[in-house]
Amino acid sequence: MLATDTSSSALAIQRDDTQREGGLLTSALRERAADQHYLKLSGLAKSFGSTRVFSEIDADIARGEFITLLGPSGCGKSTLLRAIAGLNNVDAGQIIVNGHDITHLPPQRRGIGMVFQHYALFPNMRVVDNVAFGLRMKKVQPEERERRVNEILRLVELTDHAQRFPHQLSGGQRQRVALARALVVEPQILLLDEPLSALDARIRRHLRDQIRDIQKSLGLTTLFVTHDQEEALLLSDRIFLMHQGRILQQGNAEALYTRPVDATAAGFMGHYNLIGRELAQPLLGYLSDGPRVALRPEALYLQPDSSLYGLQDSQVNFPTQALPSNSGPACPGVIRRHQLLGNIVRYEVDCQGLRLNIDVLNRSSRQLLPTHLRVQVYADLDEVQALADIPAASPTAKQAS
Amino acid sequence: MSLPAELPYRHGKPLLPSLMARLRLLNPYTLVVGSVFTLLALPLVATLFYALATRWGASLTPDGLTIKWFIELWATPRFLAAFGRSILIAVSALILSLILIVPVVFLAHTRYPRLDNLMNGLILLPFAVPPIVSSVGLLQLYAGGPLPIVGTPWILIPTYFTIVLPFMYRALANSLRALDVASLMEAAQLLGASPLKAFFLVVLPNIRIGIQIAVFLAFSFLAGEFVFANMLVGTRFETLQVYLNNIRGASGHFTSALVITLFVFTLLLTWLGNRQPATEGQPVDEADDTLSGTDLTAPIHNVTPDADSRGTR
Amino acid sequence: MMPPRLKRWITSPVMWLLPFAIIFGAFQIAPLVWVMISAFKTPDGWGLAHFHEIATSAFFRQAIGRSLEISFMSSVLGLAIAAVTCHSMHRCGPRLTRAMIAFTNMTSNFAGVPLAFAFIILMGANGMLTLMLERIGIIDDFNLYSRTGLIVIYTWFQIPLGILLLYPAFGTLQSEWREAASLLGAGRVAYWKHIGLPVLWPSLAGTLTVLFANAMGAYATVYALVNTSYNLMTIRIANLVSGDLFLQPELASALALVLVVILVIVTLIQQWLMRRSYHVTSR
Repeated sequence: MLATDTSSSALAIQRDDTQREGGLLTSALRERAADQHYLKLSGLAKSFGSTRVFSEIDADIARGEFITLLGPSGCGKSTLLRAIAGLNNVDAGQIIVNGHDITHLPPQRRGIGMVFQHYALFPNMRVVDNVAFGLRMKKVQPEERERRVNEILRLVELTDHAQRFPHQLSGGQRQRVALARALVVEPQILLLDEPLSALDARIRRHLRDQIRDIQKSLGLTTLFVTHDQEEALLLSDRIFLMHQGRILQQGNAEALYTRPVDATAAGFMGHYNLIGRELAQPLLGYLSDGPRVALRPEALYLQPDSSLYGLQDSQVNFPTQALPSNSGPACPGVIRRHQLLGNIVRYEVDCQGLRLNIDVLNRSSRQLLPTHLRVQVYADLDEVQALADIPAASPTAKQAS
Repeated sequence: MSLPAELPYRHGKPLLPSLMARLRLLNPYTLVVGSVFTLLALPLVATLFYALATRWGASLTPDGLTIKWFIELWATPRFLAAFGRSILIAVSALILSLILIVPVVFLAHTRYPRLDNLMNGLILLPFAVPPIVSSVGLLQLYAGGPLPIVGTPWILIPTYFTIVLPFMYRALANSLRALDVASLMEAAQLLGASPLKAFFLVVLPNIRIGIQIAVFLAFSFLAGEFVFANMLVGTRFETLQVYLNNIRGASGHFTSALVITLFVFTLLLTWLGNRQPATEGQPVDEADDTLSGTDLTAPIHNVTPDADSRGTR
Repeated sequence: MMPPRLKRWITSPVMWLLPFAIIFGAFQIAPLVWVMISAFKTPDGWGLAHFHEIATSAFFRQAIGRSLEISFMSSVLGLAIAAVTCHSMHRCGPRLTRAMIAFTNMTSNFAGVPLAFAFIILMGANGMLTLMLERIGIIDDFNLYSRTGLIVIYTWFQIPLGILLLYPAFGTLQSEWREAASLLGAGRVAYWKHIGLPVLWPSLAGTLTVLFANAMGAYATVYALVNTSYNLMTIRIANLVSGDLFLQPELASALALVLVVILVIVTLIQQWLMRRSYHVTSR
């Protein structure tokens, strides 16, 4: 865990300074309004030649918010991040930070910190010099510089590695150096471009928590780019789901996960079963409003066919799953295969011409249902999402890779 | 995602795509590369023009164009003889080199890994010692004594072996390394082949392309060799380069035609060396080797620009 | 029938190394050793007489000085041009870059006598470029056979070699470093000062050493251009062993040894500088 007593840190002090000045009510109000619209993107668009990278990007981000840009590779999220940093220019639109238009400022003068996917540490400098670089560029006095570098290295738990060169560090340590280097200059906004994707799973989890803790303790407005929905769900205050250069849906984790706006969103979040409304009718017992229905795999319930249950081998000890209060009619199906996902078993079930993903809590290996077993499928009608969009590209709920 | 190289600090109003494209042509980087390209091409282009000019006095443009200088050159017996001698010497030196180097590089990559370290040090010698220095020693050692070969082509053949050694050794070592020859030999021997058979039936066909590249590169290198040829043998066995030097008094157009012929010949050899058979992928894995700066020996003939450094890592 | 011991010996792999060792020893190592030994051989035994002669003779001192000067100037110029070109090659289109690499490969083989002839045609007294520049009025009297002329032609053949050696090194510069630096407040100059040049430094130093050695040992080009009329180390060495006048092979050996020692010293300096800079293990 991270040391949380960062109240003494220079970064926290700076934040207090900006808040202290609100003596008058009006200015306090104005400030709160400014805090609500700390980072404002309006009408941002960018193309490379005839290829549109992103367009119609509008967003309002409050001070201290942790925003995740989530989307498949090539959706424009990284380019958008780089545009905010000033590493790419935009063709149209405005980027406003704290009331200042920074759209045409060079990156040096934007006051934005960034952490790159492949760390981008300067290989010729030791850890201390990497971290101190931004302060040197700002001509911060050596004593002050040393103090702040030490402080930030303590925050990312790298004090012992201060004299190492980047190539002497592990991937996770390198990324923490990169984080420290971006934080030490007290940026107005922190940008993280897939900072975890080059790391292995265990380090990734640890660093993910560390990033979140630091971000919270510093109250830093943060934009995080990832293609990993789990990361997005765990970290973000709000998620911007991007697809083909547009923000498809924005909202908090719960909203994105349980209420996808369309098939693409549903296809990317979770492993939704997307079903045409006619095909869904036997499961739901009624004809849905929208042209499609989205059902999460955990909103479907399985029960072995009672007529066959007695004939089964005694080792199949599948307990009857308690059905939700508002379940649809029983729908006969056959198990095609299963995937063990740790605490969850995902069954693929053929049911009335549909192939459904159904998640069941993995309580015991003796309760696994064999392939070819006939089952009854029930839908939790409270979790049915009618999608009111034009038919999207992906016909079934395939996993977004 | 591959983004076109963009000027990092250019921030301005969006431009029309066509204008952008035109600006890209004029960007400073393109200009620099284009200028250096031109700079390097200038002597060659000038010589080519001169070789094709009927007469060119103290004016900016030639009076007319002709290929008569080339025809004249190719009808000169002394030139043809020199050409023949150059090829003869180069081919002999290459055959000798292959016979001497292939067993060494092979053993260094199968039986004696430490031999490879030793060789990597030894092959720096021909680079570190300028030919003029070597020729001082060679002239004295082989002018008389038990082996009086100065003034004959016999001294050039083993001497040329020493100067192509770095190219050859590195090219062959690279292809053997890419092949993982040690495992290959083990596999062949497990299947019942004797070491010699395994070498000829398995290893040699697989490093054929490596040998081909090495041979052609070395050939073009030897075709341009002058110092040893002139110092050790001179006019007694006149090679192309020595011939060129000796006819300096002749018409400039004629010598220009000779220079162009030499250049085209070298070009042809390099092209033949780099030509890759369509069916076989040639592993060219030299990028790491050429990084050190002190290592001249691995010519980077197949360097492709790092198109997408983000994606490959 | 061969005795088994002899047979085993003949078929042993070491036998295959023997011809290589003999020829390499006789034609690479032996000449060098001979030079080292004979440099100290004087008419009355052994000693440093030849070195003393070189050190006291204004003529030889001039040759060494001019060799050093031309080599240094041309390798620094060549390195600078090659570095800027390599940097630009990584920033311009892939097609131009590929063409440039192919072309540098071609021109790196174009050296020696043909190069000298090409330069005479281009920049000799009646050379095309000379005439053109004189007409425009940029130069009034360019002499290819002078110090400046030699520096120009040496630089010309250093550029392709420099590009071939430096191009991969510039590939190791990651664009993210520049971006990260710019976000931390560094402009173009600060980036090159603190990151770009320090990272490239080992490659630049190594390439400079190679270029310098290349120029110090160059003989064919300058011989074809000025024969023996320009006083350089390689010209002097060659003249002492194959000139028309009296030959002094021992003195040639001594001068050759001086040349080798200069190259060794330069290499040692470079190694020493490299050791003081940071080292990156292969990524």
